[in-house]
Amino acid sequence: MTPARFLEARAGAWDRLEAIVSKTSKKGVRALTDKELHELTRLYPAVAVDVARARMYNIDPTTQKRINQLAISAHGLLYRRKNVRKLQAIWGFFRNGYPRLFRRLWPYVALAMVLFTIGILGAYVSTILKPSNAYLFVPGQLDLTDEDPGVSSKDISERFRRIPKPPMAAGIMANNISVAFNAFALGITAGVGTCYVVIFNAMMLGGFAGHFSNHGLTYEFWSFIAPHGILEIFAILVSAAAGLRLGLSLAIPGQLKRSASLRVGAHEAVLLVLGTIPMFIIAGIIEGFITPSYIPGIFKIVLGVAVAFTTISYLVLVGRGPISESKPRVAQK
Amino acid sequence: MQDFDLIETPENVELQRRLAGIGSRFIAGFLDNLLIVLMYVVLFLLLLIVGINIIADVGFSSMAEIWLLTIIILVAFAIYWGYFVLFEMWTNGQSPGKKYMKIRVVQVEGGGISFSSIAVRNLLRVVDAIGFYAVAGITMFVTEKVQRLGDLAAGTVVISEEVPNYSASYDKKKQILDNEAITSAALEATGLKPAEYLLLHNYWLRREELNVEAKRQLLPQLIRPILNRMGHSLPDYSSEALEEYVEKMLAKARSAEAEVKKGIHKSEDAK
Repeated sequence: MTPARFLEARAGAWDRLEAIVSKTSKKGVRALTDKELHELTRLYPAVAVDVARARMYNIDPTTQKRINQLAISAHGLLYRRKNVRKLQAIWGFFRNGYPRLFRRLWPYVALAMVLFTIGILGAYVSTILKPSNAYLFVPGQLDLTDEDPGVSSKDISERFRRIPKPPMAAGIMANNISVAFNAFALGITAGVGTCYVVIFNAMMLGGFAGHFSNHGLTYEFWSFIAPHGILEIFAILVSAAAGLRLGLSLAIPGQLKRSASLRVGAHEAVLLVLGTIPMFIIAGIIEGFITPSYIPGIFKIVLGVAVAFTTISYLVLVGRGPISESKPRVAQK
Repeated sequence: MQDFDLIETPENVELQRRLAGIGSRFIAGFLDNLLIVLMYVVLFLLLLIVGINIIADVGFSSMAEIWLLTIIILVAFAIYWGYFVLFEMWTNGQSPGKKYMKIRVVQVEGGGISFSSIAVRNLLRVVDAIGFYAVAGITMFVTEKVQRLGDLAAGTVVISEEVPNYSASYDKKKQILDNEAITSAALEATGLKPAEYLLLHNYWLRREELNVEAKRQLLPQLIRPILNRMGHSLPDYSSEALEEYVEKMLAKARSAEAEVKKGIHKSEDAK
């Protein structure tokens, strides 16, 4: 076949495909009739091959560009992701995928916990040894033991009772999820940014704990922190673990190319951080509604421990069945 | 940074994709952020209209107002983290700004973007956005496929979907007209007839294929009639001198063609 014969023979198919593709510009493939759709599936592979043939015959660049563009457009219409049922996918993720992912990535969670423990102990001990150090770790306006008419220093929750509960729960939730997302995203700095977020928050908590302890309010403090805080801190640490996974995949690629390693790490890590959203919602509701309530402190602490225990049991125990039906959807190539 | 990259299709054919440039991506991002700001303004006006004083912690008169504030907080949060995620999910990789600029996010290996890729590239947006997207700008500039950090981690590229007008009739007509103008200028400058010009041109293209003996026989036969007609004379009529003459004539034609082409491009730009 000569180049001229090739052009002559194939021009009809190109014009037809062009007509079909241009029909989809507004509404996508839905704009096509069944017959046109069928034609599209038949025309595209042939035109894709034409691109290679045009290159071989070295025909004029404009025509080469034209059929390349046609093939690209048709390729984009035909090769797309399967339309998954979203609710089902989310259910499957929490039913199997997430606990499995957590168990696979637990070393990163452990690493985040070590960092957190170092930060909290450091700030706590430093505050016990020298009480004025508390102001290094704790933002001034949060200093709850200051004399404030109407707020007894014995009852930390008092201050929060004056704010309506639903918006407070929403605000806390939004803030915590933002902290978690930032802890994840800052992982792209090879994990340095994530470490900063973890240690910064740990020192704040340690500073608070030491400060209240110095004022003989240890029990009041923990009955204020525990109901929501155990789950909340755990969820922050899981998000930080996601940031560390992202950062270390970039810093230590191992056998993979650095770019490929980053991709795999990022796709695992993002699912790890997205899975913390329900934890933050539960913690936010507890913090908005139960923490400021008049329930005795011991019950609050018990509740906090129970919620955290349930969460960890879920992560450790659920989804241990055979993987056959639905593999965890992570790091797709 | 380059304009195109290649993807291999399941048919084992390499197709060229046009990558979106930094400029069009920044405009798209600016439009999207403008839309986000507009949404915040609407939320804020909503707050004012209902009369909630958001600065002082007083003035919650009714349950309705309390729940409205709750909803506003949640919506503002959802816009901040969810605007790009939701739009890119619904429209297969096109936020409104991208749609306006006719660009789209796709997987590096081709095909529609996956949910986890959308999540990765848009959660990492906070890092890319540092310094008014300076981080994104630098990364896009240094990477081969114009990717920001989020794209690198997600394995995505942003491609241009603006389809140039390749319609056959348009191009052919234009090409013929252009070629006519170009060729006539070349003929005018050299004084050659179309057939002669073609002859010299074809000879020049094939000169490497001819051996010395063939040249010695062929060149006088080809060039003599032209020399005679034009009234040109050469110091000697060796193959080298004749070939030099061909080169000189063609160079003259080239420079005349180049002039005309420049003119055509200029008038195109003006359009």
